[in-house]
Amino acid sequence: MLEAFVLITILIGFLGVLFKKNLIMKIISMDVMSTGVVAYYVVVSAREGLFTPIITDSPSGTYADPVPQAVILTAIVIGFSIQALMLVGAIKLAKDNPTLETREIEQSNTP
Amino acid sequence: MTTLTLIWIVFPFLVGFTIYLLPRLDRVLALTGAIFSTVYASLLLIEQVPITLKLLDNFGVTLLLDPLAGFFIFTNALVTAAVFFYCWRSDKTTFFYAQVLILHGSVNAAFICADFISLYVALEVISIATFLLIAYPRTDRSIWVGLRYLFVSNVAMLFYLVGAVLVYKAHHSFEFTGLQGAPPEAVALIFTGLLTKGGIFVSGLWLPLTHSESESPVSALMSGVVVKAGIFPLARFALLIEEIDPIVRFFGVGTALLGVFYAVFEKDAKRMLALSTVSQLGFILAAPEVAGFYALTHGLVKAALFLIVGKLPSRNLQELRSQPMPTQFWIALVIASFSISGFPLLSGFGAKVLTMKNLLPWQVIGMNIAALGTSTFFAKLIFLPHGNQQHKLFPTQPLPQEQNISTSSPLPPSSQFGFWAAMLLLLGGLFAANVVYYEAYTLENTLKPLGTIFLGWLIYFLIFRQLSVKLPRMFEQFEHLIGVMSLSLIALFWMVLA
Repeated sequence: MLEAFVLITILIGFLGVLFKKNLIMKIISMDVMSTGVVAYYVVVSAREGLFTPIITDSPSGTYADPVPQAVILTAIVIGFSIQALMLVGAIKLAKDNPTLETREIEQSNTP
Repeated sequence: MTTLTLIWIVFPFLVGFTIYLLPRLDRVLALTGAIFSTVYASLLLIEQVPITLKLLDNFGVTLLLDPLAGFFIFTNALVTAAVFFYCWRSDKTTFFYAQVLILHGSVNAAFICADFISLYVALEVISIATFLLIAYPRTDRSIWVGLRYLFVSNVAMLFYLVGAVLVYKAHHSFEFTGLQGAPPEAVALIFTGLLTKGGIFVSGLWLPLTHSESESPVSALMSGVVVKAGIFPLARFALLIEEIDPIVRFFGVGTALLGVFYAVFEKDAKRMLALSTVSQLGFILAAPEVAGFYALTHGLVKAALFLIVGKLPSRNLQELRSQPMPTQFWIALVIASFSISGFPLLSGFGAKVLTMKNLLPWQVIGMNIAALGTSTFFAKLIFLPHGNQQHKLFPTQPLPQEQNISTSSPLPPSSQFGFWAAMLLLLGGLFAANVVYYEAYTLENTLKPLGTIFLGWLIYFLIFRQLSVKLPRMFEQFEHLIGVMSLSLIALFWMVLA
């Protein structure tokens, strides 16, 4: 169930990148998509348990898998920096294309 | 060797950042990084013993260094060094050199990692560094081309990440070998990411515009090495896992034919070279066993071609036909074009013979057509007029397109030295690389490429010289690029399932 919702989030983000006309909206859609991916990693790591994997005196038995969580942390950082970079690009483009319609920008910038 | 490997991995990044502190030494430091990689890759190729490294315990980073990776690293080192020579006397800032070196380091990392997450990190760093290099001129067009690249590659990498976690779900490990027995959707997602990143087949249609609208040194880097970071893992999967092999080979043939089909109709020199990259990547994938050698020769030749074309007075092949270029440029251009068409004496010949030998029966027809097409459209460059009128080198009136000025801006004669140093490195490399596969020189092997080239030229003179068909560029629009990604995802899923 949870998995289905996460996958729907990824799909919505993807469709946003595809169908939104505005550059900023496209960038935000991409963020939605990457949020979905991050959530998917969390869902996968929580399959076998929810407890934080720290050794204590009374082991609870059902620990969450730490590996995907650790891995996705890197991806979050990378995603964030790419997002920042894209927004800087959008700021620069906004000077000459105030509406930031991708189709307009594309038409004036392809040979 | 292990310590040396670790130092070598960190070195470009470390130097890339220190360059900012010592801006006066930027070129020297940057070149040191490239030379270090050359030496290291030679060691790797001479020793021929694969090294496997597992850093930080069980779930840590796994690295695999073998001769296949050695070839790719060697290509990367030579192309980077050539680009530094080319830019030596230009007004490029420290930022440029630092970015190129960081790009060099991350491409190296992509060639040696053996698990999905390290590969993801390497590929994303490559995306960022490439974006910064594309957008270096800070014009609206360069920023848009860069943004488009970043969008496409980041969306592709998000699909890849989902695929990677599905592999983890099945095997509790991110290693490449986990692809065996992984669910078909995992393979499809990972392939979608890598095919898009590597510029293969229909998912690679972002490549022509990106590579042709960047500055020449950046185009040389991108076509020479950066796209190979996406290709290399595919070749590695094909060698590791038997079931993946036919899929990779299929995409090899597909992209070889698609690239050739577009390139024979192209009238713009830089776009033609970019489309030729799309098709040459197919040759690399068509025979994964010998991918390394082909990648080396293609990297050298394509970097050389982009650097030469950047020096020509125009990008339009029609205009170049009425405007003779200096003979020395023409000689360099012909050597490179001969190598890529597979003419004997140049290592492009050996690479092509080796690839053709390792094809499966069903691939042979397709790849021969692609080879024929390659010699057809390179005839466009070979048969350009040349002469020694020096003044033709520097166009007096501004060129019609804005971008042309930045790509072929007249440089002072002192910069010629750097250009020829780069050519010496790249074209000399093409001659020297013959030693890798000198067994190719038999009578039968030599006659066939000669026949192909001759036939290609004949087709060029009979059909394509007069023909002026302009193929629609609809599929290169941004929305279509993203849309095609979803279609190829579905297609791949069914291919894996079948």
